[in-house]
Amino acid sequence: MNAIQESMEKIQASEELKQTTLQYLDGQRRRRNSLHLYSASRYVLAAACLLVILGIGGYSVYNVPVSYISIDVNPSIELGVNRFGKVVWAKAYNGDGQDILEHISLKNISYVQAIDRLLNDKSYSRFLAGGSQLVFTVISESPDTMVKQIEADEYLRMYGAKTYTSDKACMKEAHQHEMSFGKYRAYLELSQYDRGITVEDCHSMTMGEIQNRIEDCMQHGEGQHGGNSSGEKERTHGHHHGEGH
Amino acid sequence: MRSAEDVNRAMDSYADMVRRLCFVHLKNKHDTEDVFQNVYMKYMLYEGSFENDGHEKAWFARVTINACKDWLRYLARRKWVPLEIIDEEKGMLDEKSTGVMEAVLGLPEKYRNVIYLYYYEEYSAVEIAGILGRKENTVYTWLARARDILRDKLGGEWT
Repeated sequence: MNAIQESMEKIQASEELKQTTLQYLDGQRRRRNSLHLYSASRYVLAAACLLVILGIGGYSVYNVPVSYISIDVNPSIELGVNRFGKVVWAKAYNGDGQDILEHISLKNISYVQAIDRLLNDKSYSRFLAGGSQLVFTVISESPDTMVKQIEADEYLRMYGAKTYTSDKACMKEAHQHEMSFGKYRAYLELSQYDRGITVEDCHSMTMGEIQNRIEDCMQHGEGQHGGNSSGEKERTHGHHHGEGH
Repeated sequence: MRSAEDVNRAMDSYADMVRRLCFVHLKNKHDTEDVFQNVYMKYMLYEGSFENDGHEKAWFARVTINACKDWLRYLARRKWVPLEIIDEEKGMLDEKSTGVMEAVLGLPEKYRNVIYLYYYEEYSAVEIAGILGRKENTVYTWLARARDILRDKLGGEWT
């Protein structure tokens, strides 16, 4: 053994140095593993957040109605239609409407399907017997397209339904009176001929009765009473789109 | 990352060599501890594989020498306290060994490496050239010059 070997042999890594180092490495290993987990969990969390945001965003877009259809006979029902043409809510504005919605689901199907399902329902069609008037009133950014789609339904022609368009201001007023905007539009039309008529009166009238009253007034030359009639007309924005065939 | 079993095995196999290389280069126990831990940390994080034990041992020698150099560069602004580490090891070294160690540690860094690797670890000049990343002839030259210096300081008794 040479002198260097002899001398160096005495220099050794102490047990303390080894143990301190192993403890240090163990700590570093745990730290790195937890950092790795933290890092991984951060990505998982970020992905989850993204999904939630996309989910909420998608859910919000899906559930926001952009068009509205008021379907009135005596049952008054309004449908909220999203930008994909799907019904996202259905509300009844009188007892008959509530009875119908309790047993017919109109949500998450296209508004054309919803109308078809409604008119096919026996408990609904009994309201469409003689003397009744089925009225569809539409609020939409492209009302013509929507009215055209609705009028294509064979039941509309069969029941001699009428279609009108309206606007959100009219809907807001209608809802303040707890009335569907379709029926409210009819009330506004009648009020042009019969200034004695009130919203409360119309609450208890069917659409057929309101329509008959309008026709009676027109035939007897009533109407355009007082100074408010033109104002009401402007506010209705209700345009007769024509009767069903 | 290497397993705890791998690290424990490497600790048993190479701890003394790493310690001695630190001793050859560093100034005190604290620096040694830092570099020692640093070398084993590098081993734990090293993802490469070794062809055999000799390859692994040479890796430890090279990484330890480089870690010592890096550490000294890092501490370059600190005042050099020569041979402080020998005082710390006084209990372990007898008079003769202290003299030899003082002579070895008094060598320029490059000579210290070749002397340690050649005379203690018994690597060949070719292997030392591989570990240090130098030409074989350079290693021979450094060995010859280091021997001359040690012979001057220690006389003929050191080999």
